[in-house]
Amino acid sequence: MTLPIRRVFVANRGEIAVRVIRACRTLGIETVIGVSEADRDTLGARLADRAVCIGPAPAAQSYLRMDTAVTAAKGTGCQALHPGYGFLAERAAFPRLCAEHGLVFVGPSADAIEAMGDKLRARKIAESLGIPTVPGTDCVASADDLVQFGRRAGYPFLVKASAGGGGRGMRVVRTAEEAPSAFESASAEARAAFGDSTLYIERYVERARHIEIQVIADAHGNVVHLGERDCSTQRRHQKLIEEAPSPVIDEAMRSSMAQAAVRLVRHVSYTNAGTIEFIFDLDTRAFYFLEMNTRIQVEHPVTESITGVDLVAEQIRVAGGAPLSLAQQDVRFDGHAIECRINAEMPERDFQPSPGRIGTWQAPAGAGIRVDTHCYPGYFVPPFYDSMIGKLIVHGRDREDAVSRMSSALAAFKVDGVPTTIPFHQAVLAHPDFAQGRVTTRWVEDKFMTSSAARRISAPLRPEAQRSCAEGAA
Amino acid sequence: MSLTHDDVLAILKIIDESPYDEVRIEIGDLKVHVRRHGDGAALEPMQPLSRPPESPAQSSTESQPAAQASASSAAPSLREQAPTDDAAQPHLAEGLVAVRAPMLGTFYRAPTPGDPPFVEVGDKVSADDTVCLVEVMKLFSSVKAGVAGTVVKIAVENGSMVEHGQVMILIESDRHTADPAVQ
Repeated sequence: MTLPIRRVFVANRGEIAVRVIRACRTLGIETVIGVSEADRDTLGARLADRAVCIGPAPAAQSYLRMDTAVTAAKGTGCQALHPGYGFLAERAAFPRLCAEHGLVFVGPSADAIEAMGDKLRARKIAESLGIPTVPGTDCVASADDLVQFGRRAGYPFLVKASAGGGGRGMRVVRTAEEAPSAFESASAEARAAFGDSTLYIERYVERARHIEIQVIADAHGNVVHLGERDCSTQRRHQKLIEEAPSPVIDEAMRSSMAQAAVRLVRHVSYTNAGTIEFIFDLDTRAFYFLEMNTRIQVEHPVTESITGVDLVAEQIRVAGGAPLSLAQQDVRFDGHAIECRINAEMPERDFQPSPGRIGTWQAPAGAGIRVDTHCYPGYFVPPFYDSMIGKLIVHGRDREDAVSRMSSALAAFKVDGVPTTIPFHQAVLAHPDFAQGRVTTRWVEDKFMTSSAARRISAPLRPEAQRSCAEGAA
Repeated sequence: MSLTHDDVLAILKIIDESPYDEVRIEIGDLKVHVRRHGDGAALEPMQPLSRPPESPAQSSTESQPAAQASASSAAPSLREQAPTDDAAQPHLAEGLVAVRAPMLGTFYRAPTPGDPPFVEVGDKVSADDTVCLVEVMKLFSSVKAGVAGTVVKIAVENGSMVEHGQVMILIESDRHTADPAVQ
């Protein structure tokens, strides 16, 4: 077996880097973080035992360089590397390179990433195990194939990138006329984002909820699921609000989804943390396997809140060869948790990212409130990376209690200097559709953003704008 | 015009709370030049200037890194292994030009092990002379002096890791020695 893990290299940035550093602290493990030139001032660089500069600001020259990450990890005496999410987390070549250099990769094996990371391959594996997948085709070679499918199975349907994720390389096709441009733009986007332009077709579920199962497995054959998360509040396939448990499924449905997830994970000898995503059709009450994410996810804190499990610490333990610290019968679900992703964006301007220097930063605190962030007063949000500046997580007795706690916590969250999505979240939480669990994966763009509630959202003004308003009024 | 002890303390306090690394104050023929990181302490090259406040949600263990808790051996701590302020120096003495690492990697002074180093302290170099190599995963990049002058310092141990932008070698520029007015 490998050396005991005493020092971990954090191959990521932002809030997840801070989260990994904290998990290492609880385990008594030292941390080294690789930072780009733009991230020298970030909280991760402050909290880690050492920070090393891995390159210039653009991610392609820093956070996306496997060779640099491994060299930095070895050069600073780390035994393990944590990839976080995004960047290099789901590249099969990364664990391979780590293994070649005697580094423990905190995540699944390269083979498991390859099996589950390719959406088409993962679908086939799920089908072979009798797990339902969204009806569709294997692979399409031209716009003509789309028209053929439309003739056979009807419109609308989705054309998706096989290597995809995060909604990139995906288009809705509603008519035969839309087929050529949908095919062209989806394959171009897929090639640009993933270096692979393979596309396939999936039936379009009109009223869908996004429900996913969190699993964690060790190298000794133990697999445990930690229940579901409901991430139906999305915009253009980007999750905005996640909660656990789901308000729309019952115990029987939960149990069959979880069993399907565990079967999949066992089948590919998966180790470490992973998430199996399903589409839940509200009209037919059927669920379909969608894809698997072979890494820790942004929304892992809602699961941590209702189970009391430290998922990131568990990831590091099992990567070091330890058995899981809990068995399935030890998993208990308590209350309800909700997470809002706070982004530096302007919802009223089509969620345009708004980097800049944060002035005031007063995060809410108190019982049942958790804020995962890398920001602080005076922090400069760089324009090079994604716009998430923090995650607000609340834990309540039940869903109603969690919703009311989230509303108060959002009201107490004071940020200025950069516009944020806090007002957007407040408006969504106050909407009856959200309160009654009637949100679908397309609710934000189809219903909410066109409503009067959304028109009232405007990001808080920048301080200088407020001053000039005050002067104008005086 | 003279400065009292209190004046100096007041100036230091202002500088400490400011975002600047270096301050020069000239009043008549009185010159005060204050620079951060000048005390030889092993500072991180990326020490933010003011410590971000710890969020209230943080546990108290946050301020006691595991590194200190388990520092029973005499091995240098992680922080001490970071480049010294010399290597991290954003500002150099006049006339000195830094050769910085173009990428994170391993620093080598010689083309192959056993060969004489490219340069030694005291050597004259021209701008196009190779002064060292930086290796990332068997890919060697040769680094040029970038300036004509004399090597005054090799700041990094052969075979050790250098960060992106870290100072590896210091060269005193010929232009400076020929004309002290040039900065």
